[in-house]
Amino acid sequence: MAVHESWIGKSLPRVEDRALIQGQGQYVSDIRFDGQWVMALVRSPHAHARITRIDTEAAAALEGVHAVITAKDMEALRRGLPDSTPIAPPALAYDEVFYVGEPVAAVLADSRYLAEDGADLVQVHYEALPVLTSAEQAAKDEVVLHPSVGSNIFDAFHMTSGDGRDALQQADHVIRATLQMGRVSPQPMEPRAIAASYNPADGTLLVYHATQSVHRAQERIAQITGLDKEKVRVIAPEVGGGFGVKNGSYPEEALVTYLAKHFKRPIKWAGDRFEEFLSTSQEREQTHHVELGVKQDGTIIALVDTYYQDNGAYPGGGAMVSRNTARNLPGPYRIPHMHIEGYTVFTNKVAQRPYRGAGRPQGHYIIERMLDRAADELGLDRVDIRTRNLIRPDEFPHRTGTDSVYDSGDYPAAFAELLSLIDVPAFRRRQREARQQGIRLGLGLSNSVEISAGFGFEGVRLTLMDDGRVMLATGATGQGQGHRTALAQIAADALHVSIDRIMVVEGDTARIDKGIGTFGSRTIIMAGNAATMASEGFVEKAKNMAAQLLEAAVDDVVFSDGRFSVQGVPSVSLDWRALAERMAEAGEDPLTHEDAFSSGTPTYGFGSHAAIVRVDENTGETRIERYVIIHDTGKVVNPLLANGQVIGGTVQGLGSALYEEMIFNEDGQPLTTSFLDYRLPGAAESPDIEIHHRDYPAPGNPAGYKGVGEAGIIPSQAIILSAVEDAFSDRRLKLDFAPVTPTRLFQALTRGETE
Amino acid sequence: MPNITLTVNGTQHRLEVDPRWLLADVLREQLNLTGTHLGCEQGVCGACTILLNGRPARSCLTLAVTADGSDIITVEGLAHNGQLHPVQEAFWQEHALQCGFCTPGFLITSVHFLSENPNPTREEIREALSGNLCRCTGYQHIVNAVERASETMRKGATHAVPQD
Repeated sequence: MAVHESWIGKSLPRVEDRALIQGQGQYVSDIRFDGQWVMALVRSPHAHARITRIDTEAAAALEGVHAVITAKDMEALRRGLPDSTPIAPPALAYDEVFYVGEPVAAVLADSRYLAEDGADLVQVHYEALPVLTSAEQAAKDEVVLHPSVGSNIFDAFHMTSGDGRDALQQADHVIRATLQMGRVSPQPMEPRAIAASYNPADGTLLVYHATQSVHRAQERIAQITGLDKEKVRVIAPEVGGGFGVKNGSYPEEALVTYLAKHFKRPIKWAGDRFEEFLSTSQEREQTHHVELGVKQDGTIIALVDTYYQDNGAYPGGGAMVSRNTARNLPGPYRIPHMHIEGYTVFTNKVAQRPYRGAGRPQGHYIIERMLDRAADELGLDRVDIRTRNLIRPDEFPHRTGTDSVYDSGDYPAAFAELLSLIDVPAFRRRQREARQQGIRLGLGLSNSVEISAGFGFEGVRLTLMDDGRVMLATGATGQGQGHRTALAQIAADALHVSIDRIMVVEGDTARIDKGIGTFGSRTIIMAGNAATMASEGFVEKAKNMAAQLLEAAVDDVVFSDGRFSVQGVPSVSLDWRALAERMAEAGEDPLTHEDAFSSGTPTYGFGSHAAIVRVDENTGETRIERYVIIHDTGKVVNPLLANGQVIGGTVQGLGSALYEEMIFNEDGQPLTTSFLDYRLPGAAESPDIEIHHRDYPAPGNPAGYKGVGEAGIIPSQAIILSAVEDAFSDRRLKLDFAPVTPTRLFQALTRGETE
Repeated sequence: MPNITLTVNGTQHRLEVDPRWLLADVLREQLNLTGTHLGCEQGVCGACTILLNGRPARSCLTLAVTADGSDIITVEGLAHNGQLHPVQEAFWQEHALQCGFCTPGFLITSVHFLSENPNPTREEIREALSGNLCRCTGYQHIVNAVERASETMRKGATHAVPQD
C-alpha cells in the first residue's frame, strides 16, 4: 500500500502566484519581439453602412507607419474567418460594415502611439444603411443583413417533450410573462491580445495569444496563413481572464498572423478597453415569451417558451448559447411537458458568443422567475413552490426532456439546509419590522444545476525531466483558474510525489499535439481525469524502464510510495530522480507518455443560493446584506480554488444582475463603452459569500469531478430580481428585465408595474 | 525629446521621453517593468496603480514628463532580497488572485492603505479597494488577504514598507 500523502482535497495556495504577485507574469501585452510592428485598427463608427471609399495616403505617409492595410489591398483579408457558419465575418470589412467597432483598416507602425496616429488619418467614407437593434424586429426580415443567409434568423429550433404545448390544458393556471435579459459585456481585466513572429528561414510562425484554446487557434491560424499546422506554434502565456470570450476566432487573430507572415515582421496587437467594449463578443441578450402551466398546489405541468436572442451581426457562437438556454430551462425542477422555440437573430451589434454560463443563467432565469410569478399569482410561498417541484434523489437518473440526464446529488436536502441557515421565518419577522421603519429588505432564492463538459476529449502528456521532476502538458489553457496547481495535485497523487515535483505547462501547442481548451467548466473533469490516466501509463512505462535498469523482470517491479523496487529485494530501488539520472546515464530518451480522457457524459453540479438584499427606495440602490450558497462540487481537488471559482462567479453575476448593461441607441451606437458607463461590481458593494458544501462525486467520470467555473454565475440574475421584488412584495412589484439597475427599478416602481 | 529622471524601486534612471508618453508606457516599454498593467487607460480600473512619491497614482493617466524627479515604487519593488512583502505573502496564502492581471494595482493600493490604516475593518478595506477592479475573485479573498497582512504587519513583520 502506498503511504504517500494525498494532495487531492487540500486547500493549497497556488504555484502560479509567486510570479504573478511580483509582477513577473508574462501576458501577451508584455511580449516584445525585436523589430516588431504594432497594429492599431480603424473601426467602423456606423452600425450598418456601405463603405464607398477609403483614403489611406495621409496615414501611410506618416513617419513610423509602415503599412496601412485595407481589404482592397489583400484579397485574403476578405475571406471569411474560420469556424463561423452560416456566414463568417472577413478580417477587414469591405463593401459593408455591420456593427460599430468592425475593423475596416489596419495600421502597422513602430509603436501603438504612431499606429493610432495613423489610424486617425485614415478617412473612410460611408453611406448609412438601415440599422437593426431589436431581435424581434430583425426577425421580421424587413431588412435582411446577410442576403446569402436568406433571413436574419440564422438559427431556429423547436424542442418538445411530453405533450408539449397541449399540456397547458391540464393546468389549473397558466402564468404568462415576457422576460428579458440585457446585453452583458464580459470584460476580462486583460483585453484581448495577440502577437506573432514569422521565421522565413524555416517557415514557422510563433504566436503568443490570449486565447482559451491554443489548439483550435493553431488550426484556424494554419487556415488563415496557409501554413501547415505543424509550422504554427501557439502559446497562451498568462491570460488575464477569459470567461468564454477569448475563445474562438476574431478578425485581429487573422490580421496579426496573416500580416506577420506577409511582411515577415513580428506584429503585435494588444487591444485597449475601448476596443474590448466595441469588438469583443457580448452575451445574455434574450427576450422570452413564457407560459407556465401549474396545478393549484403549484405542481408544474408544462413550460412553453418562445424566445429571441439578439445575436449581433455575425454568428459568433451565439447559436450554442441559444440552444444551451433551452437545455437549461428546466433547471433542477420536474417539468413533464415542454415546448421550446428559440430564434437566434442577426442585428447590427457586435456578435454574441458564449460568456461564463452560456445559456445556463438564461435558462435558470426563466424557470426561477416563472416559479416566483406562479407562487405570487396562486398565493403560494416562493419557498414551497420550489420544494414541491425539485427533483428528488430517488428520481435519478432524471431525464429533463431537454437532453440532460441528471445523475447525482440531493437537491431538496441542499435547499432545506439553505432555508435553515437563512432561517426564513426569522427573516420574515425582521423584514416586517424593517419595513415599518421604511427599510426594504428582500429575500431571493434560487436553485441551479451546473451542466459541465460532456463532449470531446482533453489530453495530458507527462515527461520525466532530467532532474526527476515530471512535466505535465495539457492543451486546456487556463485564464487564472489555477490549473497549474490543481493538475499538479492530481498528478502528484498518481505519481506519489510532492507537488513541487510536477511542473504543469498549459497552452503550448509544442508541448502536446492535441487539445480542446478551457471553457464550459470542463478542465478538471477532462484534463483532471486525463492526468490520472496518463500517470498510470507513465508509471507502467517507468516500471519497464526500471526493470531494464535494475536488471529485473518487469513483473517483479513494484511501484510504491514513489519508488520502483524489485519484489523481495527492498534494498534496490529507484525514485523518479534516480530513474531520470540512470536513464540519462544509459543514453535513453526521456520517458514520456500521453493519454486523453474522452467523455460524452456531462457532470451535474448543483447549487442552492439565497440572497438578502436591502433596497434604498429613494435611490434605487440594492445592497447585498447576506449571500449563502450550498454547493455540490463533486469530488474537490482544491477547496480553496473551488470556492474561489464559486465566489468569483457569483460576484461577477451580481454585475449582470444589478449594474451591467450594454446600451445601444436606435442607431446601433453603443453608449456604454468605458468602466464609467458600464459598471462592474467593485469591492465596496460586493458581499462576503458564505459557502457550505454538500459534495456528491459525479458518477459519470472515474474521479467524480464536477464543473465549478460557472456555478456561481448561473442564478445571479434570477435571485437578485427575486430578492428585489420581495423587498417590495407589499406593492406586488414585478420585474421583467435583468439587470435591475437603479434606473430600471425606479421605472418599474413608477410606471405602474406594481399594484 | 525631453530628459527626465525617475527613481524606480530605488534605482535612478535618466530617460528621454516623448512629452505625450504615459508613465505606464515608460515603465513598461523603456524600463521593461511590465508588472504594471494597463487595464483601461481611463483611470478607472486601477491595474496600473503605482506609488508616486509615496502616494498611489494611476500611471495610465500620468504623463511621464510630469513625473520628472519623482520616486516610484512598482509591484516589482515590493519584495526585498527575495522576501515577499507581507501583503504579497497574504495575497498568495489567501488565494486573492486568479488571472493576476489586476493584482499589481491591488497590491500597491493595499500596501499604501495599510501604511495609513494599520488596523482596518473589512468595510474600511473594501472602501480602500473600491478604486481597483477585479473580474475574477469577487474581492472576498482580497479582503481576507489585506486583513491577514494587517495582522502580520501589526505583529511586527520585519519587512519594511517601501518608503517614498
